[in-house]
Amino acid sequence: MSQNAMQTAPRASHAGVFAGLSLLVVSLLYFFASQSPGTALHNAKLLIFKTAFIGILLEALPFILIGVLASALLQVFVSDRMVRRIIPRHPLLGILTAGLLGIVFPICECGMVPAIRGLIRKGMPAYVASTFILVGPILNPIVFWSTWVAFRSRPEMTYARMGLALAVAIAVGLIVYRFVKGGVLRDEGPPRERAHDHSHGHSHSHGHAHGYRQGGVRGKLTEMMSHSVGEFFEMGKFLLFGALLVGLLQAFVPQQQLASLGHGHAGSSLLMMGLGFALSLCSTSDAFVAQSFLATFSKGSLVAFMVFGPMLNLKSLLMMLAVFKTKFVALLAVLSFVFVYAGAWVLETWLLKGG
Amino acid sequence: MTMLRNRATVHHLLRTAILVGLTALLARLLFSGDMLLYIAPHLMLYARIATAGVTILALCQGYLTVASLRHPAIGCACGRDHDHDHAPPASLGKNVVLYGLFLLPLLFGAVVPNAALAGSLARNKGMNLAGAAVPNGASLETVELEGDADQAIKAMFRTNVYNKDYAKLGMLLYRQDAIEMKDEWFIEKLQAMNLFVDNFQGKRVTLTGFVYRESGLADDQFIVGRMAMTHCIADISPYGIVVEAPDAAGYPNDAWLTVDGTIDRTTFQGREVIRIVADGVISAKAPTIPYVYPDWNFASKL
Repeated sequence: MSQNAMQTAPRASHAGVFAGLSLLVVSLLYFFASQSPGTALHNAKLLIFKTAFIGILLEALPFILIGVLASALLQVFVSDRMVRRIIPRHPLLGILTAGLLGIVFPICECGMVPAIRGLIRKGMPAYVASTFILVGPILNPIVFWSTWVAFRSRPEMTYARMGLALAVAIAVGLIVYRFVKGGVLRDEGPPRERAHDHSHGHSHSHGHAHGYRQGGVRGKLTEMMSHSVGEFFEMGKFLLFGALLVGLLQAFVPQQQLASLGHGHAGSSLLMMGLGFALSLCSTSDAFVAQSFLATFSKGSLVAFMVFGPMLNLKSLLMMLAVFKTKFVALLAVLSFVFVYAGAWVLETWLLKGG
Repeated sequence: MTMLRNRATVHHLLRTAILVGLTALLARLLFSGDMLLYIAPHLMLYARIATAGVTILALCQGYLTVASLRHPAIGCACGRDHDHDHAPPASLGKNVVLYGLFLLPLLFGAVVPNAALAGSLARNKGMNLAGAAVPNGASLETVELEGDADQAIKAMFRTNVYNKDYAKLGMLLYRQDAIEMKDEWFIEKLQAMNLFVDNFQGKRVTLTGFVYRESGLADDQFIVGRMAMTHCIADISPYGIVVEAPDAAGYPNDAWLTVDGTIDRTTFQGREVIRIVADGVISAKAPTIPYVYPDWNFASKL
């Protein structure tokens, strides 16, 4: 018992989520119980659900694994001092660096969350981390290229997407710098202020002390294994839950019906942001989906879709809740929502007019 | 202590079982080729990485399980001395839900068949008939092609700078006697033809895809479509062409057909798109992997 118990024990605040999940499983059982067993397996909705669920899992799995590995390596081999030395001391400079970091490390939001937690534990300031979380999945060469290609005849869409993402992330980073004091991680205080005699916290970082004491490569390796497996299960449950919801959405809610809800600019921006949130697509593929809405929706709202979706979606929200305090996630969510919405309105009014 | 130890062992064993199961699921998808039903070919490398990664995690967890049987606290970094301070052991119900979540993909993978999705999913997504719309008011220019391209043809494919690639492809198609819509560049060809609807009137075309219907179609019309996948099944979207055939009503939805015909035009949902007037419709075998993939870089391969 000990680390395992800690990681598998759902926190009180997730009780609702898990209760909801149980309800879902029960209602699914009822749904399939009403049909004869043979036909149930070939039910079109079930097939769509299964395929979407497994597909999202397969798509995200490699990146989660990379994130988990990076975080484990960070945890065991990189010292707090190194991290602090690399990040510029000046807040504005730190935020700008984070904003451009994605260009060097093209990493999507699935791998982002575990890696970021490792970095925060090592002393990366929360405002730098928030900026990177928001802009990293968008402002990178792969996403630039895919957006450019999807909107081949409208290059301004690509610039608008990149620009808006950077602007929103920097604004959120500054607000976090100004107003958020104290730790943002769910399971420990701010790393710098953490006293060393505080030995009862639920933290992995106590681990490395033990590891060193245990000494030797073997101790470190065992620690890394245990850390990776633990984190994989911790992140995995949120990925799975997100994939489950997205699968249900894909199977039961026609995208077209959703699309027909949005009228006028204000409505369509909201709708596209909601869609981006719910669909939880990878930031490298969402441009093609956005492109298929070009006939139906205003361009500002498509930019909102392509900026808000990667910043905050069902899948990443659940993963962020696993790592950050609920209050902090709510702050990030509200801020990015408001800024993206406002930004899309500005773009629509002044920059993306007409054909 | 014994109780705690037993509980830890159960957790270790469950985790081992789940990781081994995941490894088996991934390996089966990878080696049977069914992986391509879920993700696009260019992501296969990542699928291999994931399979290798999960295998390694399973081995690690196996090692930890064996080690924990011998020394209860090994590998548990934050350990021995403060077991009692951790969160109280989760209730049985919560653990069932948690591990149930991980067992779900294994269960689905084992029980529900891997199926290619075509028409049924298209109904949820909404069919794309036109590709990129022609931007109005943009300055048009002719596209330079290597070789002795006919000036008259060049003049027909004047476009703005961003649609040059489609103009190039359009010219290539225009000079073919009959256009065949193969898997490669399905979407690109569709967009090129829709972009220059006028130029393709009366051309012969062959197309294979599934039958799909949507409100707004006449009785003698249906859509022949393909599903395009960018990354994974979550982002697939259907692309298709309106087909007109006298016996249209006789073809059920989702049936695979090969259609021969000539290109005409029609307006559908307010957009000017191509339409095929069919003179030969035969049923076709559904491909094992029914998806087409957008090729971002098609112009450089022309």
